Amino acid sequence: MFRTSTFRLTVIFSATFALSTLLLFAFIYWQTTVVETERVNAALVRDADAIANAPPLEILRSVTIRLAADFHRVTYASLFTVNGHPLAGNLDRLPEGVPLDGRAHRTNIVMPESGGSNREVVMVVARRLANGQLLVLGRSIDSLDNLRAVVMRALEEGGTPMVLLSLLAGAILSRRAQRQIKSVHLAAERIMRGNLQERLPVRGNADDFGRLTNSVNHLLDEIERLVEEAKNTTDNIAHDLRTPLTRVRSRLERARETAQTRAELEEMVDRAIVSLDQTLRIITALLRISQLEDGRRRAAFSMVDLKTIVQEIGDLYEPFAEENDVRFSIEAQDITAVLGDPDLLSEAIANIVDNAIKFTPAGGWVRLSVEQNGRIPAITVTDSGPGIPSEEREAVMRRLYRSDKSRHIDGCGLGLSLVDAIIKLHDFRLVIKDGDAGIGCVFQLTCGRSQ
Amino acid sequence: MGTAQSPFNALPIHHAAQTSLHTARLLLIEDDAETAEDIVSDFGARGYAVVHVANGLEGLSQARANDYTLVIVDRMLPGLDGLSILETLRREHFQFPVLVLSALGDVDNRVRGLKAGGDDYLTKPFAFAELAARVEALLRRPGVTRETTLRAGPLEMDLIDRKVCRGERSIDLLPREFKLLEFLVRRPGQVMTRAMLLEDVWNYRFLSETNLVDVHIGKLRRKIDAPGETPMIHTIRGTGFMLCVPA
Repeated sequence: MFRTSTFRLTVIFSATFALSTLLLFAFIYWQTTVVETERVNAALVRDADAIANAPPLEILRSVTIRLAADFHRVTYASLFTVNGHPLAGNLDRLPEGVPLDGRAHRTNIVMPESGGSNREVVMVVARRLANGQLLVLGRSIDSLDNLRAVVMRALEEGGTPMVLLSLLAGAILSRRAQRQIKSVHLAAERIMRGNLQERLPVRGNADDFGRLTNSVNHLLDEIERLVEEAKNTTDNIAHDLRTPLTRVRSRLERARETAQTRAELEEMVDRAIVSLDQTLRIITALLRISQLEDGRRRAAFSMVDLKTIVQEIGDLYEPFAEENDVRFSIEAQDITAVLGDPDLLSEAIANIVDNAIKFTPAGGWVRLSVEQNGRIPAITVTDSGPGIPSEEREAVMRRLYRSDKSRHIDGCGLGLSLVDAIIKLHDFRLVIKDGDAGIGCVFQLTCGRSQ
Repeated sequence: MGTAQSPFNALPIHHAAQTSLHTARLLLIEDDAETAEDIVSDFGARGYAVVHVANGLEGLSQARANDYTLVIVDRMLPGLDGLSILETLRREHFQFPVLVLSALGDVDNRVRGLKAGGDDYLTKPFAFAELAARVEALLRRPGVTRETTLRAGPLEMDLIDRKVCRGERSIDLLPREFKLLEFLVRRPGQVMTRAMLLEDVWNYRFLSETNLVDVHIGKLRRKIDAPGETPMIHTIRGTGFMLCVPA
């Protein structure tokens, strides 16, 4: 426990607490002893001056008044003869060890009535008057002294308990925090061992730990979703690979048994090769998607002119569209260059065009256009086909997805997920929308971050 | 005119071509035993003489020591990697064509291979027909000519005016059809795979499942091979297309 950061934190906190309390005590001490005493001294010296400079008849009166006004019995005031015999006031003799310099000194005075037991600590000012008499003014600072003693004792007696208390509080708090962290740690281990459904317990409080726990739970939600998706993908992949491979196997078996001539054998073997090629394409596409997703290809990006690419793809697909009885039109404006991989971008656009043409029934149309949208080029592929229902638009990008409507179309369902991977690599945006008046489908590729 | 049928495919090899193939000495630097074995036997059957080496350093010294017409080199090799071998050979002024083989995992792929001095680039897995067609294309690369007219049998292509005629019949071609035909006419009797056509005519590096090239060839063929005329544009099953000069 002692090595944990929570314990260290609470030790620091306790030390700070102890230190600030100490400083507080020190301040009180300073105020009582130094500041107050200075105040008393200054007052005494001032008063002594005032009395000394008063007319002679006033002096005695001042001393008397001073004593009469002393409700708290803290004042000392006395007049002495030249030789030090008491004339007036409450002192019976000159205070010991006090020079006659008109400055304040600290001394002890024993009150006569008490018979020697009641000693007081007094600040005293003594001076010789013009007529030779001695004036002594004093003020007891016993209370101040007592206060100081109390403070010191509080510090001595309370100091240790205070430190211990703060350490104890620290230990308790750190243990609490430790336990919370440990429960998260144990839950994480359980989750890692395979129990993906588990979530961390969240207590009602919205403190930092609560927020952290919530974040971790969200993270776990996301992980569970990804694992599920990966599992589904793997299942789909396995299925989509097994189907053509099974076909190959049965074809080869049949070829072996039924082919009469070498030509027949060759034909069946060729068909088997076609199915194998299909399987290879799926695998290659999957590997490429995976490779694209790790982003290394960004290092080889260069400036790309999308207008040329669009024109070339238009050129490439035109006869194919014609054969499918689909009207294919290409509109290309001058646009700014973008940073990317020209081969991958060609492939992405070609894939979208390919899909559009394939899914548009005979007699329909496909339009491929590239235009400048503010500061960013945008490529749009519009078709008059059946469109993609909004619920399916996200799913369509996932690997090997085939909506029920499209199962009859040739090809594996990896084209759009490859497009998705390419777009993500380039940090572009692809939006699928309904066509105007609800006819057909629009794929809009925005080639950059919109402002 | 003699045409020979190789036992493994239906590729008719013209006699003239056969001579050049038979005098070609190929060096294969490939460490994967199975791939190498397949390539050696496939090419052997096509009539090439192939020397196989499995180590990079050995491959480099072989290439220097003996006279090869073409080298096929894999990027990943023990000893010395393929691109380094290639760069070294180019620095030492060896001019023979080199075809680079690579596994899928390489990031900058083709560009790096070509920049290092390679002439063509093929990623595994590939069909052997693809490799053979590309090797043949490299061996029989058309020289740089300043001719303004290309001729192949009855076909005549005016490169300046962009006009084509077959015998007396003038043919109206779209720009892309002209480009495609020119590519085929410059390489008579050689098989062009779909991948090669997509790369060189359309600058498109990825094979699509859609039979795009077939459609283009089909349209071109309808214009070039009118009914009654000897077909010049042939489809080689399993491999690609070829322009053959009628006998």
